[in-house]
Amino acid sequence: MNKSRQRITNFLYNMLSLGVVMFLWYLLSNWQNSPYFPRLSEIWNAFVTLAQYGDIEGIFLSEHIWASLIRIFAGFAVACAIGIPLGLAMGLWPKLYYRTRSVIEPIRFIPPLAWIPIAIVFMVGFNRYVFLIWLGAFFPIFITTLLSVTRVNPVHVNVAKVFGASRMYIIRKIVLPSVLPDIATGMRVGLGVAWMCILAAEMIGGEMIGVGRLILKYAELLRMSEILVGMVIIGVIGFIMNEIFIMVENYVFRWRSEVSID
Amino acid sequence: MSEHLLDVHVTKRFGNMTVLNDVRFHVDKNEFLVIVGPTSCGKTTLANIISGIDTAYDGTVQLQGQTVNPKVHNISYVFQEPSCIPWYTMLQDVTMGPIIKGMDPSRAEEIGRRCIKLVDMAGFENYYPRQLSGGMQQRVAIARAYATSPDLLVMDEPFGHLDAQTRYLMQIEIMRIWHEDKKTVVFITNNIEEAVYVGSRILVLSRLPATIKDEHIIDLPYPRDLTDAEFLRIREAITLQCEAVD
Ligand SMILES: Nc1ncnc2c1ncn2[C@@H]1O[C@H](COP(=O)(O)OP(=O)(O)O)[C@@H](O)[C@H]1O
Ligand SMILES: [Mg+2]
Repeated sequence: MNKSRQRITNFLYNMLSLGVVMFLWYLLSNWQNSPYFPRLSEIWNAFVTLAQYGDIEGIFLSEHIWASLIRIFAGFAVACAIGIPLGLAMGLWPKLYYRTRSVIEPIRFIPPLAWIPIAIVFMVGFNRYVFLIWLGAFFPIFITTLLSVTRVNPVHVNVAKVFGASRMYIIRKIVLPSVLPDIATGMRVGLGVAWMCILAAEMIGGEMIGVGRLILKYAELLRMSEILVGMVIIGVIGFIMNEIFIMVENYVFRWRSEVSID
Repeated sequence: MSEHLLDVHVTKRFGNMTVLNDVRFHVDKNEFLVIVGPTSCGKTTLANIISGIDTAYDGTVQLQGQTVNPKVHNISYVFQEPSCIPWYTMLQDVTMGPIIKGMDPSRAEEIGRRCIKLVDMAGFENYYPRQLSGGMQQRVAIARAYATSPDLLVMDEPFGHLDAQTRYLMQIEIMRIWHEDKKTVVFITNNIEEAVYVGSRILVLSRLPATIKDEHIIDLPYPRDLTDAEFLRIREAITLQCEAVD
């Protein structure tokens, strides 16, 4: 009851914040009156044109979005498929981590953009996208998984141990459920980073399709309205995916968020 | 083979700090043994050793004539920290022990429900720990400990986190449960009044490194009267021992 009212209040304030930002944009764009600071109406027109008639090459906005989404999910899926098992293994057998640290840790700090030449030389087609997005998404997923294992409450492990539980039982029934929420958080962060890598990936992908590509195309033409449409779309889709992820998390891990009765 | 259920004779060091120094005692079947000692004198360390979780010690811990081992013995442990498994409902939590020990799920559930009734928590079977107060969670932990019908039940300051009133009610409760279903209990506490209220025998631990200072056999009938002259005398005597600097 109180909660749903809170939600409505939050929603209204968010609408207000959006309104304020748009209003400021409106004032600034009127005051600047420059083609590099498009008015809201111009951005809207660019959006409608891109959606209805496509870009300069006739590729529709929905096609750009779809292409980027598929690339993101592919890279993200590979990052999960490698990051989660590897993080779990290194968390359960820390020696694995401590003995390979000097290889793993430095790679973390190499920005995805720096990998572009390697991607160009060694990969072609779809693999280039997947590789660059994977690079970005992998480390948040891997590191959170690894750390979550070391943070398992030892009391919970001991509860099972005193009853004579096997190591397999402890991993399945105690370690895994306790790390899953952290892994989900890592995945959510990883998904965000995957979106941030889309521009780098589409820079070298070679195809003229994708939201990142759209931005690059119009950057060459110095057409700010279309660039802003691309930026806003990346932001909004990332935001929606994040929200969906949080909703799923809250449902799956409802044992964490149930309200207390006392 | 010794005639005692549990024989303990241990020394424990963390690095070069001796925590338990030649601690030696035994526990008989169906006894309610209380170990009382000041904060951080090594009580939890001792509980972890006699329950078989910690095996890195010098000396011996023999349960039923064999070195203590959770895979062999039937031990339950009520931890000092909150220990309910957050992703288990109360019923899942309480049936965990029987299921690990290979009981079939329907029989385990039957026992689980009985133990939940025993701790007076019927109706909360499907609640998660998050939804329960600290005192209720501790009842779950006690029900879980009873569900395996342990040969040895170790309780490490089980009421340490509770407020004074809940703590008092839980002391009454634990004695009722013990009378209903006799178990061999090692009950650890730093509260002297609690010790005299529940214990049939009390061991007094010294400050670090812990040794056993004294033993008291408490012959008072249950349920005990906190204002009884003999009760107060024993309480006073143990208090003096705990305060004494040696
Ligand atoms: N894993 C550990 N490593 C090093 N020292 C420890 C460890 N566990 C406990 N100690 C030390 O041993 C002493 C006794 O701890 P503990 O058994 O928890 O005391 P109590 O339960 O009586 O409060 C404390 O001084 C504590 O700092
Ligand atoms: Mg303790």
